[in-house]
Amino acid sequence: MTLTHCLLLASFLFCVGVYGLLTRRQAVAVLLSLELMMNAANLAFASFAHFKGGPGQVFVIFALAITVAEVAIGLALVMLLYRRYDDTALDRASEAKG
Amino acid sequence: MNALFVLAALVTAFAAVLVVAGKNLVRAVMALALALLGTAVVYALLDASFLAGVQVLTYVGGVVTLMIFGVMVTRRHEGANAPAERVHGFRGLVIAAGLFALLAWAVMESDLDRGAPPIFAPETTRSLARSLLDEHLIAFEVVSLLLLAAILGAVVLARRRDGRDAGSELLAAATREAVESQTQGEPVEAAGSARGGAAR
Amino acid sequence: MSTLQSWAALAVLAPLAAALLCVVLPPLRKAGKPAAALCLLSSLVSAGSALYLLTQHETGSVSRTTIPWIVFGGKAIASIGVHVDATSVVMLVVVTMVALCVQIFSTAYMHDEKPSSYGRYFTLHALFLFSMNTLVVAPNLMQLFAGWELVGLTSYLLIGFWFQKPSAAKASVKAFWMTKLADMGFVFALLVLFVATRGFEWSARLSTETATLVTALLFLAVVGKSAQFPLHVWLPDAMEGPTPVSALLHAATMVAAGVFLIVRADPLFAQAPATRDVMLWIGSGTALFAACLALVQTDIKKVLAYSTCSQLGYMVAALGAGSAFAGFFHLGTHAFFKALLFLGAGSVIHAVHSNELADMGGLRKKMPWTALTFGLGALSLAGVPGLAGFFSKDHVLSELEGRAGWIPWALLMLTSFLTAFYMGRVLIKAFGGAPSAKAHHAHESGGAMLLPLFVLAVPAVGAGFFGGKLAEWSGAEYHLHLGLTPIVASCLALGGIFAALAVFGRGKTAPFTSVLEGLDRASAVDRTWAGLYRHVLLGVSAVMGFIDRYVVDGLMNAIGYSTIESGASVRRLQTGRIHDYAMAVVVGALLIVLWGVLR
Repeated sequence: MTLTHCLLLASFLFCVGVYGLLTRRQAVAVLLSLELMMNAANLAFASFAHFKGGPGQVFVIFALAITVAEVAIGLALVMLLYRRYDDTALDRASEAKG
Repeated sequence: MNALFVLAALVTAFAAVLVVAGKNLVRAVMALALALLGTAVVYALLDASFLAGVQVLTYVGGVVTLMIFGVMVTRRHEGANAPAERVHGFRGLVIAAGLFALLAWAVMESDLDRGAPPIFAPETTRSLARSLLDEHLIAFEVVSLLLLAAILGAVVLARRRDGRDAGSELLAAATREAVESQTQGEPVEAAGSARGGAAR
Repeated sequence: MSTLQSWAALAVLAPLAAALLCVVLPPLRKAGKPAAALCLLSSLVSAGSALYLLTQHETGSVSRTTIPWIVFGGKAIASIGVHVDATSVVMLVVVTMVALCVQIFSTAYMHDEKPSSYGRYFTLHALFLFSMNTLVVAPNLMQLFAGWELVGLTSYLLIGFWFQKPSAAKASVKAFWMTKLADMGFVFALLVLFVATRGFEWSARLSTETATLVTALLFLAVVGKSAQFPLHVWLPDAMEGPTPVSALLHAATMVAAGVFLIVRADPLFAQAPATRDVMLWIGSGTALFAACLALVQTDIKKVLAYSTCSQLGYMVAALGAGSAFAGFFHLGTHAFFKALLFLGAGSVIHAVHSNELADMGGLRKKMPWTALTFGLGALSLAGVPGLAGFFSKDHVLSELEGRAGWIPWALLMLTSFLTAFYMGRVLIKAFGGAPSAKAHHAHESGGAMLLPLFVLAVPAVGAGFFGGKLAEWSGAEYHLHLGLTPIVASCLALGGIFAALAVFGRGKTAPFTSVLEGLDRASAVDRTWAGLYRHVLLGVSAVMGFIDRYVVDGLMNAIGYSTIESGASVRRLQTGRIHDYAMAVVVGALLIVLWGVLR
């Protein structure tokens, strides 16, 4: 177990999250992908903290709090979306079309 | 220790793929919970026992529950007869793979494992608490403000004008589903979808 | 922590305990009477320990206990604790005694309320007493600020106690915003002070420029809290709250917190003569201006509200003249007689169910005890020789002798006359003459309302004789002398009362001409405001409007037109699909990483 291994795992999780973010239509699924990406970033922080020192763990705590806030707001937005379009597919909301 | 890390990493990676690959949202949430648990194990291996605990408590306990709730409240069109699940899947795959290749290359090139193994004292829960409430006190307070704002924002966003809350909304959605399937005169399919819903 | 400091801490913490109990035990609060009893008990404990501190006080003794607060990087930025000296002990006694009287009065005054709001009322009172005591015993400006904001909050809650009434809700919001606006000054003052001295002590040595900046910012907060011109407008509206609240918060204690702050921070203000000059003028100007307005109010509480503005003006002027003792002395006496006046007014309002002076009249026969105590308070406020108000007001005026070309002195002398005049008017209209329709059925209030009146009447009459002791404790000079100021002031006070008798006392029909005169004076002030608004503000606005419409808007329209044109050509880029935006973000991030790697 080295820093390189941990960072490779983190990169993989992040890219899987990116893939989900880009391709899933369901709003909840997009939120799940975002969670994966946040988790990957946290893992990178913790790995650096372990192998190189520094306040990485504190950052993870803050990132966790931000994630929780993001989930709360995200789900509220999903509810709004559902109420407005009777569906949670993200591409239903396309009022911003120019 | 290495074997445990490899196992945890494999489980985490596999579960992550399940999160984005499957069609069924409830299953995806469960896969996410597994991936987060795997990460928690990695945290524990990284001498971050407090983080591992918090990860299990807030993520697996809180976030996943919230997600399940979100799926259930909005589940009407989820599942078997949902429209096409993906948008430009190939482009997304290319971009994600490219990003991973780039990141992996950067990580490998940086030669991060050079030098002596860590000699500094690992972070304990006590030292973590000290740095959180002393050195990073202001950031800590700002985060509490952020959480307050998020709570208020979520309440304002999710509140209905007619004062019904999410719970009654869930009930209403279920009732509507039942009524619709009955009025359409398709008892077999209705029973099937109900069973499918229960299974989900 | 010595015994004295423990007593001071008890005075602060007892109301907090009561308030917390009432907050965390809703059944207790909603039961009403038990909550009231608990809060009264805590006030009694508070007042008792304050009185004990007063009896134990020795000249020149100053002691404090603090614990670190906001530890940052291993070092405490501020500290909280208690500071026991002459100023805090005397203020503590004034605050807790008035609060106790007001709360006893409230048990009768508010008895028509639902049990839940009855409990809420007393909970808020306990919270207020805690906040005010926190402010009074503060060992540094940081804790003082914390108490300052807390009293602001309770003031907001209590003004809006009857929040179902739109006017009360509006008044509470107005008071909140006006004082918060001013409190920005306090925040900035604390910031500047901290940057300059790494602390929040009021005894800090500063350069003249820094001291002027800090004190000017502090004074801004005082102008808001103590309702000085031009931020005084919230105080008359605050009368929407229950009358005992007006007595406690908006007459006796909370609005005096501003004056208390200047007394506390006197070492800072002593280093900033420029700020003191401004205070001198604003104080005396407010005193006269508010007295003029008090003359024409038809609502008995608004008369008293403007009178409070005016008397606070006296205190600010005294502090501007550099005499912290004079300002503080007047603060103390004013707290007693103004609380007495407000509670008397509350007793009257309770009897006739109206705030309007026109609905009263002839009450001296129906409510003799209220009339007697209210009269004593009014005479004390008017500055009739021998009563408390006379001594403190006389001392303020003596301190102003010869300052700034005698002009502030003259302004305040004129205010003295007006004070006597408008208080005479209230006395005659409410208690003299024949009863109005509503006043026919009035009857004397019960014991729970009369007792506080009697208790407060004692210091309202006799607190002046305490001045020597207070001066000794504060290290100031104070002695009565038969000079120019006392004689002129006494003559003006008595003259004001006789003028009121001559003008308003001649039956109900005759004084119409003079009443109109008074009204005319009021509308002159109003007209000045309206004229200022119409001609100056609207004139400037018209010019601004022209510039805005043709110069700024022309430019904007040109820019806007070109923006629309160019926007139309690139709008195709916006597909409105979230996935496309996400893709753009990710690709952008990828390009940034790539650039970083290849650089």
